[in-house]
Amino acid sequence: MTGKKWKELFIQALRLYTLLVTLIVVIMMILGYLLDRDRVFGYDAFLSPLVYALIGTVATVITRSDQELSVRNLIIRKVISLLLIEGVILLIALNADTIPTEKSWVIPSLTLAVFAVFVLTHIILYFIDRKEAEKLNADLARFQEKQMNG
Amino acid sequence: MKLETRKIPESEPEMVEIRYHWITEEIQEIISFVKSRQGQLSATRDGKRFEVPVVDLFYAESVDDRLFLYTAADSYEIRMKLYELEDLLKNKSFFRVSKSMIVNLMKITSIRPALNGRFSAVLKNGEEIIISRKYVPALKQILKGGES
Repeated sequence: MTGKKWKELFIQALRLYTLLVTLIVVIMMILGYLLDRDRVFGYDAFLSPLVYALIGTVATVITRSDQELSVRNLIIRKVISLLLIEGVILLIALNADTIPTEKSWVIPSLTLAVFAVFVLTHIILYFIDRKEAEKLNADLARFQEKQMNG
Repeated sequence: MKLETRKIPESEPEMVEIRYHWITEEIQEIISFVKSRQGQLSATRDGKRFEVPVVDLFYAESVDDRLFLYTAADSYEIRMKLYELEDLLKNKSFFRVSKSMIVNLMKITSIRPALNGRFSAVLKNGEEIIISRKYVPALKQILKGGES
């Protein structure tokens, strides 16, 4: 892999990581507010969105390939990465003292929250790409006009 | 093969003359090269030879070490490597969109996002091709008027 490719990969990973941290914080706030409003956390609670986002970012390795993946293949890999994230997050939750997994609503809420973050991330990234596509289309129209006019 | 070049006055038209005994593979390659420089590509379809105008070309795709040319409705096979064709057409609005494909930018109607940071290009004949994420920065550059 070339330096340029690494740089591009790093920027993409950073973009995804930042987006995931934001979404996880929002989801945690909403879930906590709705389901466990009186709970009090220490400063170490700030660390969990960073760790969860890192897991989510690392899991995207599954969807990367030097070969061009077909849409079907890509969707399969996306599903595998979602299942992997769900699995790791639940494993962490079950082993963490700070997450009350003994309460019946915690595991389903956590599973749903991971799914919501996954879907929201894809929707936001789609809108970012759509904005980029609009710019590409404008540049393409200018390019074609310039070529046709010699 | 003997090679002869001759400087001629500007009043005379420039030309390439090929003298041959038989059209061998080597001769055909030279003919194809000259034609491609004139905006045509020698390709085959169903065993017949065709001259495909470069302006009619939508995209070229390499499949299992064979290179195919696609126009609005037809496809042809050309005896060339993808990188050779890319090099030949680089000043003619063609751009590499993936490991196995180059596309005529003049035949793209629109670009839209696809999965996983990729984009897809909708061509004037309705076909849709994938632009690999790796080639998007170079595409941006070329559309802004820079060399990729």
